[in-house]
Amino acid sequence: MKHNTFNKITAVLMAVVMLATGCLLSACGGDKNYAANNTEFVIGMSGPLTGGAAIYGVAVKNSAQMAVDEINAAGGLNGVMFKLVATDDMHDATKVATNYANLYENGMQVSLGTVTTKPGLEWKNLSVDDNVFFLTPSASGDAIPANANGFQMCFADGNQGKVAADYINQNFAGKTIGVFYKSDDPYSAGIYQQFKANLSSSVTTVEAVFTDANTTDFSTQIDTLKDCEFIFMPIYYQPASIFMLQAKDKVAANAVYYGCDGLDGIASAEGFDINSIPQEVSMLSHFDSNATTGAAKEYIDKYVAKYGADTLNQFGASAYDCVYAIYNAMKAAYEADNSSISVTMSASELCEVLKAQFNGSFSYSGVTGQNISWDSTGYVQKTAIRYVVKPAASNEN
Amino acid sequence: MDFITTLINGLSLGGIYAMIALGYTMVYGIAKMLNFAHGDIIMVGGYTIFVVLGLSGNPILATVAAIIVCVVLGVTIEKIAYKPLRGASPLAVLITAIGVSYLLQSLAQIIFGSAQKIVIVADMGTVTLGSVSISVSTLVTLGCTVLVMVVLTLFVKFTKTGRAMVAVSEDRGAAQLMGINVNRIITITFAIGSALAALAGLFYLMKSPGLTTTLGAMPGIKAFTAAVIGGIGSVPGAMLGGILLGVVECISYKITAIAPYTDAIEFSILIIILLVKPTGFLGKKRREKV
Repeated sequence: MKHNTFNKITAVLMAVVMLATGCLLSACGGDKNYAANNTEFVIGMSGPLTGGAAIYGVAVKNSAQMAVDEINAAGGLNGVMFKLVATDDMHDATKVATNYANLYENGMQVSLGTVTTKPGLEWKNLSVDDNVFFLTPSASGDAIPANANGFQMCFADGNQGKVAADYINQNFAGKTIGVFYKSDDPYSAGIYQQFKANLSSSVTTVEAVFTDANTTDFSTQIDTLKDCEFIFMPIYYQPASIFMLQAKDKVAANAVYYGCDGLDGIASAEGFDINSIPQEVSMLSHFDSNATTGAAKEYIDKYVAKYGADTLNQFGASAYDCVYAIYNAMKAAYEADNSSISVTMSASELCEVLKAQFNGSFSYSGVTGQNISWDSTGYVQKTAIRYVVKPAASNEN
Repeated sequence: MDFITTLINGLSLGGIYAMIALGYTMVYGIAKMLNFAHGDIIMVGGYTIFVVLGLSGNPILATVAAIIVCVVLGVTIEKIAYKPLRGASPLAVLITAIGVSYLLQSLAQIIFGSAQKIVIVADMGTVTLGSVSISVSTLVTLGCTVLVMVVLTLFVKFTKTGRAMVAVSEDRGAAQLMGINVNRIITITFAIGSALAALAGLFYLMKSPGLTTTLGAMPGIKAFTAAVIGGIGSVPGAMLGGILLGVVECISYKITAIAPYTDAIEFSILIIILLVKPTGFLGKKRREKV
C-alpha cells in the first residue's frame, strides 16, 4: 500500500516536470530578439581556429575581421559599427551547437556560418529554426544552402562541372580540348556529366577515361590525349599525379592541365615532385593567391601586411568578400528604405531583409569575382578563374 | 598510326598480365588450387622495390631484392598456409588464399600506410619511330616478357624439373610412384610463380609509378581471367590469354564510346569463353572418372 502511494506521487511529479519542460521549450522556440540591446551589428561565425584545419579557420577570421575594421573605419552603416564574433569548432560538428547557442544568445544578427562543410551541415539545421542568415565563405557541401536562409560564396562541390564548362565555353569556343575522368567514380563522373551538359557545342572534346582505382597504366589514355593543349581532369590528385608523370614526355610541354578541387594538395603529394612535370598544372578556383592586379592583389597586399603570408588562402579571400557582400546588401536595403535596418533588429528580421536582397537583383564585385549573384538555391553565380598550381617549365628551346 | 601505338601498349600490358597469369596457371596445374594471394605478391614486390630503390638507388639491386623477397614469401605462404590443407576441400584452400591476400594487404597498409607512393624505377624517356611514339619502358616490358616466356617454355620442356612439373600436373599419384618428390615440385612452382610476380611488379611500376597496397588486386583478377580464358593449367594458354586481355583493354580504352565499359568488356570475354569453350582456348578436357 505504501509502495503504491509512492509510485503515484512519483508519477504526478514526473507529469509536472514534463509539462513544465514542455512549456519552457515552446517558450524558447519563438524568434526571441536577443539583439534588442545591441549597439553594434553582430556578425557570428564558427570555424577551426585551432587543430588540423586551423589554417582555414584563422584565414577566415583574420580576413573577416579585416573587412569589419575597414567598414567601421569608413563609418559603418549610417554610423553604426559592426562587430565580428568568431568561435572555435576545431572542424568538429559536435561543437557547433554550443557555439551557435552562445553566438545567438549574445545577439548575433547575421553570420558567416561555418568554415568547413561537416560542421556547416549542423549550422544549417540550427540556423533555420531561428531564421539566422548565413553566407559561408568556404563550406562547399551541396546541401549547405538547402534552406532559404543559407548562401555560399564558394562554388558548391556539385556545381563545379557547370563552372568549369562556363570557363571553357568562354575561353575555348571553336577549339578542341581533352577530358580525362574516372567513369566509375561518383565525384569524377558527376562533375563530368554536369560539365558535358553545360558545354557549348562549339567546343570539341577528346575524351579518355579510366575505371578501377588500381588501373594506373595510362599509356592508352595518354595516347588519346597527347595532342591536346588543354586537358580538363576532374579527378583526385593521386591518379592525376601518376597520369602527369607518365605523360610528361608525350603531352606537349606547353599543354595545360585543369582540374577541380580534387587536385587540391597535388603540389605537396608524398613523393611527387610537381616541378618534374613540364606542363602547367592549374585548377578551378575563385581566387588566385599569386594575383598581380585587381581586387585580389589589393586584398593579398593588405592581408600579408597585417597577418603574414602563412595563412593566405582562398578561404580568407572568400570570407573578406562575405563580410562586404553582407554589408553591401544591408546598405542597399537601407538606401531603398531606411526603416528596414536597425541595430536592434532581430536575426530573423535581418534575415528577411538580406534574403530579399540576395534573391533579388543584388550583385557584388570583390576579391573572388565580379558581378557575383546567387541563384534561388543559394549557390553562387560567378566566373571561375584558372588558378595556376605550377606554371609551365620555362621553354629552353 | 594510332592503332600501332595502341597495339604495342596492349601487347606490353598483356605481357604483364601473361606473366601474372603464368603464376596462377602453374600453381593451379600442379597444386590444383587457385592462389588468390598471387596478386598481392606483386604488391609486395612493388614495395620491396620502393624500399631498396630508396636505400640504394640501384634499380637492378632493387629488382633482385624483390625477386628474392617474393620467392621467400611465396614459398613460406605455401608451407604455412597451404601445405597443411593438402587434401582438404578446394573451398577451404580457396578461402585460405583469400585470407592470405587480405593479410598481405593489411600488413602492407600497417607498415607503409595507405597513402600512394611514387616509385620512379628508371626514367627512360620515349622513342619516336615515324609517327609512333612509345615509352622505352613499354618496349623493355614487352621484350622482357617475351624473353621470360621463352625461357619458361624451354625450362618446362627440356629440364628434368620442368618435365617433373608437367608430370605432376598430369597425374600427381603416378608421378609420385615414378619417384618424383611432389612437395618439392610444388615448392618450386610457388617459387617460380612468385619470382614472375616480382617481375610483374617491376614492370607495372615501370609503366606507372603509383604504388598502393591494392596494386595487385585488379591486375591479379585480370590475370586470373586471362588464365581461365587461355585454359587454366596451360602455360601457353596463360600467355595467350594475358596478351589477348591486354590488347582488348587498350583498344577498348582507345574507343571513346566504349571506354567506360572496358572492365565489363574484358570480363564479358571470360563469360563468353566459359559458355562456348569451358576449358579455355588451350585447356585440356579431363574426363572425370566416377
